Amino acid sequence: MNKQIKFSLEDEEFFGSVGSFGVPKFDLAMRGGIPRGFLVVAFAEVGCGSDLFAKQFTSPAEEPDNTILISTNESQLEIARVFKKYGWPTDIGVRTLGEEYNAKVLEKELLASRYRLEGFKLNDIQRLAQTRFVDDDTQDFLTDMTNEIMAMGPYFRAVIDSLDFFMTRDDPYRVMSMLRMMQAHTQLSRGILFITVSNNSISPAVKQEMSSIADMVCDFKVRTIGSDFETSMIISKFRNAPENLSIMVYRVTPEEGITPETVERIA
Amino acid sequence: MVSGTCGSGKTTLAMEFLVRGALSGEACAHFTATEPSVKLLENIRQFAFFNMNMIDDGLINVFDMDVLYSWLGLDKATFDLDDVHALIKAIVDIVNTIGVTRLVVDSVTTLCYKIKSEQLIRDFLFTLGKKLSTLGCTTLLISEITSASENAHWSSFGVEEAIADGIIVMGDVERMGHLLRFLQVVKMRGTAHSRAKHSIELTPLGVMLTPMLKWGAMSDKQSRWGS
Repeated sequence: MNKQIKFSLEDEEFFGSVGSFGVPKFDLAMRGGIPRGFLVVAFAEVGCGSDLFAKQFTSPAEEPDNTILISTNESQLEIARVFKKYGWPTDIGVRTLGEEYNAKVLEKELLASRYRLEGFKLNDIQRLAQTRFVDDDTQDFLTDMTNEIMAMGPYFRAVIDSLDFFMTRDDPYRVMSMLRMMQAHTQLSRGILFITVSNNSISPAVKQEMSSIADMVCDFKVRTIGSDFETSMIISKFRNAPENLSIMVYRVTPEEGITPETVERIA
Repeated sequence: MVSGTCGSGKTTLAMEFLVRGALSGEACAHFTATEPSVKLLENIRQFAFFNMNMIDDGLINVFDMDVLYSWLGLDKATFDLDDVHALIKAIVDIVNTIGVTRLVVDSVTTLCYKIKSEQLIRDFLFTLGKKLSTLGCTTLLISEITSASENAHWSSFGVEEAIADGIIVMGDVERMGHLLRFLQVVKMRGTAHSRAKHSIELTPLGVMLTPMLKWGAMSDKQSRWGS
């Protein structure tokens, strides 16, 4: 990639070399925050709170116009409700690919099933006879999303929650290629890109490749202790800062969202 | 079944069949898979006896197969048994609902390319033909062939001709440096018909047929006077 981006001194001063996680205690544990240009991959388990963490990650929104949350599972309404609940900025860009997929693909499939099962009614036939072209609404959501990230300006902040949507619909190696492109763009534009993916939706080989592309790897874990759940995050990779590798137990509070309880060094 | 080579006038003949039907008040339908309906409707205007009211009044209904496929969720490379049944049901539904008595499927070859098994093609055509004839609908299945010579099949897959009640073959013959279009009725169940080749001309007044003199169909050497 020969693209060059010029950064203004004013921007360099404003954004600094690190950005916040959106969780002050995490910033502290990571010695100031997340370096600009980092791609963070979070491997998640069911019920670990990665959805909430992903939303919280957008909350610093240094430039709301240059901040985007791409959600594949939640609706705009659900996301807005959570943002309002925690008082996070609601003027960032939010794209809900799950909803788009429902509207563009599933609704069409449902209608096709109805036609196949119940047949055409007279007004359907009249409409069919007047329709001259097929609506070209077939959409490559993966390319679309990659383009959206690639179009973001310097010091962007973006969250993709989660890649499972693409892993189950596309060739995982195509997803990897797109991830590499997004990683290169993130590095070049000093952006921060946070991506979640479920452990169960990828093979060990894909997980290994994702880990090597990422600048920072987090594993979200959930386990039961007695009658309680304990959620923790394992920072298993932090490029050029192995001192940041750690295991952090966290909890969800109504005031702060996700926040660590203890910080433990493992390296 | 109307079988013919490229440019032999199959679509024009089929369109005239529909326009003539519409002129006598019959509801007609045309399923086009080979060219967009917009282009087809442009071409149909060449007939002096056609007027747009036939479309506006719903006497001639042109359906794009691509649109139909999309509506039925059939926008894929190959069709399985369920897909074939869905397609038959849709066509029969349309014929039944608007009372179509003249139907053209242009072309059945393009459609059958999506059906991989010969048995499934046979079932598709047989079931479609049976259901449409039960509804009193006369259907022209247009079939594309690469050659209309004596040894050629009358259809692309070889199964279409077996289930059709009638076979009209269209093609070209070269005569004294000119490519003449011809039409020949090979089979028409239950009727006594000529099996001779007829020269055809596509005119604004419709398809004109002229009996083709026997010597005209022979090679140049044999056709000379006195040979």
